[in-house]
Order: sequence, then C-alpha cells, then structure tokens
Amino acid sequence: VKTPDRLVHVPPGVQCFVGNEARRRRLIEERVVAVFEGWDYEEIIPPLYDYAEVFAGPALSPKTYSFVGRDGSVLALRPDFTSLLAKVAAGRLRDRPTPIRLYYSGEVLRYEPPKAGRQSELHQMGLEHLGGGRSAADAEVLAIAAECLDRLGARSWVLAVGHVGVFTGLLAEAGLAPDDLETLRERVEGKDAGGVGEVLDRCGVAPEAARAVRRLTELQGDVGVLDEAARAFAFSPPASAAVRELQAVVGALQAAGLGDRVAVDLGEVRGLDYYTGLVFRAYASGLGFEVGGGGRYDSLLERFGRPLPAVGFMFGLDRLALLLERQGTLPASAAAPAEAVTGPLLGDALRQARARRAAGTRVRFGNGGER
Amino acid sequence: VSLTVALSKGKLLAGTEALFRRVGLAFPEGEGRRLVVTAGSLRFLFVKDMDVPTYVEYGVADCGIAGRDVLLETGSDVYEPLDLGFGHCRLVVARRREASFAYESTSTIRVATKYPRVASNHFLARGVSAEVVRLAGSVEIAPGLGLADCIVDVVETGRTLEENGLTPVEDVAASSARLIVNRASFHARREEVGALLQALRSGVQQEGRNTQNSGSLSRRGAIRPNAATPSGSPPAPTRSDVSEG
Repeated sequence: VKTPDRLVHVPPGVQCFVGNEARRRRLIEERVVAVFEGWDYEEIIPPLYDYAEVFAGPALSPKTYSFVGRDGSVLALRPDFTSLLAKVAAGRLRDRPTPIRLYYSGEVLRYEPPKAGRQSELHQMGLEHLGGGRSAADAEVLAIAAECLDRLGARSWVLAVGHVGVFTGLLAEAGLAPDDLETLRERVEGKDAGGVGEVLDRCGVAPEAARAVRRLTELQGDVGVLDEAARAFAFSPPASAAVRELQAVVGALQAAGLGDRVAVDLGEVRGLDYYTGLVFRAYASGLGFEVGGGGRYDSLLERFGRPLPAVGFMFGLDRLALLLERQGTLPASAAAPAEAVTGPLLGDALRQARARRAAGTRVRFGNGGER
Repeated sequence: VSLTVALSKGKLLAGTEALFRRVGLAFPEGEGRRLVVTAGSLRFLFVKDMDVPTYVEYGVADCGIAGRDVLLETGSDVYEPLDLGFGHCRLVVARRREASFAYESTSTIRVATKYPRVASNHFLARGVSAEVVRLAGSVEIAPGLGLADCIVDVVETGRTLEENGLTPVEDVAASSARLIVNRASFHARREEVGALLQALRSGVQQEGRNTQNSGSLSRRGAIRPNAATPSGSPPAPTRSDVSEG
C-alpha cells in the first residue's frame, strides 16, 4: 500500500533541520544572543499569535497567516516581532523608564513563496531599543550588529547605512500623490537614475529638488558621501537635518573603529511607511542578499498608546547560516564522539552510564542489539 | 577573475558586445557552446534572458545585462544603475486589427503572453479581469487562432505584429537594456563594481555623443557590432528567442 502523499511531501515554505545542521543553527543563535545580552538587552518571548490588528500595516498584512479564533476575533501568526514588542512595551511595561532594551530569537511566519534563502517560516534574531537618545541608540544598535557579525567570524561584511529622512525631506514640499511617491521610491531604491528622472518630470517636481532626488541614486560609498550630501542638500532643511543625523552616527562608528565597515547609501529607502530615520542592511561577500537590517521607526509605538522613538534590527538565522557555510567560517560543530556503555545486566549498565554522565561524558547507551 | 557577469545570448548580446569592446573590456570570442567563459578579468555566464536577473539577485553573478521588460517580469530585487541605451522596445497590449474588443464590454479578457506577471499587473491596475495564458513564444499567432483576445508582448518596429494581423492598442511599458547589480556585491565589492559601472557609463555616454552626430542608431535594438568591433570576431549571436516585434 502506498503511503499517502501528504504523509511524505513537505509543504512549501517550511524546513526541518537535523543533527549538525540544527547544532550549527543553535551555535549561531547562542553567539548572537550572547552579544545581545552583553549589551544589556533583556530577552522577551512573545506569543506565537496575537490579534491580526497588532500586525496591521501595508507591508505585513498581505503576508500574514490569519485565522478566526473561537470567539470570532481575527488572529494572526506573528509575521514579525517588532509589533509584539511594541505592544508589550506600551502595555505591560508602560511604567518602565526608558530606554527599554529588548531582544528576541524565534520563528515568524510569512505567506511568501520561498525565495532567496527565505522560507515562509523564518527564524529571526533581533533587538529593539525603545526611547533614549536618537543618535546614541542608532550608533549602539549598529555597533551591536557589527559585533554579532564579528563574533560569528563573518568576513568582508559591510553595513550599508542610509536615512529615509533625506528622501522624504527633499520631497516634503513636492506634494506628490502616494502612488507617484511609491514609484519614485522604488526607482531610487533600484538606483535607476533614468527612471527617477522620468517620474520627477512627469510629476513636475521643482528643479532643485528633482536634481537632488536624482543624486540619491549615486550618493553611496564611503563617509565622504555625507559631506557631499550636506552641500548638495543645504537648500532643504529637513533633508539637511537627516544628513546631519547620519553624520553624527557614522562619525561615532568611525571613531569607534568601524569606519571600514560602514558604507553610506542614501538610496537605501525601503519601507517608508514604517521607517522614519536611519536605515541599514548588512551585506557580506559570498551571499547575494542581506543577512539582516533594520532602522529607526519613531511612529510605531504611538499606535499602541505610548509614543516612543525606537530603533531596532534583526538577523535572519537562515541567511546567517547560509553565509557562514559559504564563507566556511563557522567553527566545526560536530559533536564529540560518544562512549559506548553496555553490559550483560541492564541495571549495571545503566548505573555505569549514569556514572559516566555525572562525569560529563557523552555516552551512547547500548543494550544488546545496538553496537 | 574579479567579477561575474550574467548575459543572455538573446537580442541584447550584440549591443552588449559592442559596448564592452568600445570601452576596451575583454569580451568572449566565439566560444561555441560553453556557458561559463572567462575573458580578461571578468567571468561571463550565458543564460536565458529571463534568468539573468535571477542569477544576479542570488549573487551567483555580481552583475548582468537585462532588458527592463525582463526586470518587470521577474520583479527581481536588484540595483539597475545604468540604462545602456540599446535594446529599445515597448511592451504593449495588441489585438487583431479587425477585432473590436473593448474593456467595457468584455467581462474577462484572455491574454496570451510570455510576460504573465507584467500582463496580470497591467490588467489588475486597469480593473479588468484577465485570464493570462502563458506561452513560451510565437505569441503573435494566439489571437488569430482564437487562443486569446489579445497579447502582451514586446515590439521594436511593429513589423511582426503587422505581419500577423495585430495592432498595438495600449502601451504597458518602455524597455531598454540595463546593467543590473547584485545588492551585496554593490556594497561588499564596491571598488570592482564601481570600476565596471564607470567604464560602461563612459561607453554609453560616448555612444550617445556618436549617435547624436550620426543619426539615430540608438532606437534600433540589436545593432550588429561587426562594423563597430575593433578586433576579433563576434560570438555568433543566436537568433533571439524574444520575438522581433
């Protein structure tokens, strides 16, 4: 009789890790979590599901697995951690003084076709810094991300840092329709100067702002880019303020010895409905897509009734594992060989095995049939 | 070998070779059937045109050359920092000349295309329900044979459409060849990628000036590079698997 397909097939989007693969992931998780703890972040283990409203947002909603609870309320499997942490920080931890530093490590579920090292079920490790000084918090989380990559032994990695306030600041007075703004954002994100120009022309954006927005597609590279941006965007107070903010953070990272690891990219403008300030992505040579990223989101907490500035980031465990495997930089994680313990009398053998265990030895308990 | 570049042996190959040679970059000579070829300091991958963005998105190739039509279809998350100024064409909706379908009077439009994602998005945005029939080629014959009401396809000159009794009714997007770059390579290998980008940009600008002086070559998609090729024989470009419109 053939085993039913559903008892054999693996549904798309989920994975199963066995033995060394699982051990490797655990090792990565332990190292990252140790860095988070080292910077005095507290772990939070939020629920697997919550009311769907908690995760409402144009980016996440379409990717959320939602279902109807027994009382008729719409629930959703967590598609990210940040909303849940924001809810707890604004609710249960309402009276706790800021800054609040929280970290998490666990799976999220997203309804998207498996692609680019990303499944529907993904393990994220990240942290949120709620309240506190903006530049200090931004610099802190970037330094933490950098330390994680170092501790994992990753090579030739770089943090590409931008600030969405430059883009939104330059266009603050342009009065673009949301659709046009999104098309423009998408073209800036793709560094497509021609496409950016087309949208700007079509929308009749003032020449000075249009010239400046076009430059966002090329203003990337080392820290000197920020001086150039400061000069080029001096006409726009909000864009200049954003550049100054970025200068303060990048300057601090440079002073702390991370100058080589920072790449400024003013065309990094993902998630405008969510991010409000500094944004960054971690890239490394050997893996085509980012291993992590994050940024400042000062308006999210207000939704939950406690307006607080916030910044955070996360790493994808799957992608980190892939990167370290490609780079061959993860220390060997195979288990120590086990000592076989066996004997004619089950009780004697078991006593001996317990004694070996008490001494910390890895044992393989055999009773007869097993080698 | 520093960078890996993904190319297709389709309609963009000739323009690509001309550009590389113009700026003094090595380009594979007629390499027959080899799909991975090193020339100078670059490694070239020859893949299907629709696969170029995938190789670049995954970082298997650091850079690639792909039409905007293909990028729209694959929706790949890559940088596209340079319009290379050749391979111009348009993505259009076309129907039979004598047919008279109107969106208002058709509940569901059946559309044959090699660009299912582009077609779906186009009709979604217009509020029209469309049944997309995915074909691998020869899309132009579908309306005449009753397989579809219309097609979404690329056109360059419009001759193929005309010869098959079709006429364009709506523009979907304009297209041209683009340099695309993997996100991680762009940042983690900034100097090498930047140098290639700079070289190609200068070649595009140079060609732009030449074209201004000597008439409009630029609207022609596949410029045969023989005349412009300073040395070596071009790798016989296979006939495009993308239809000449």
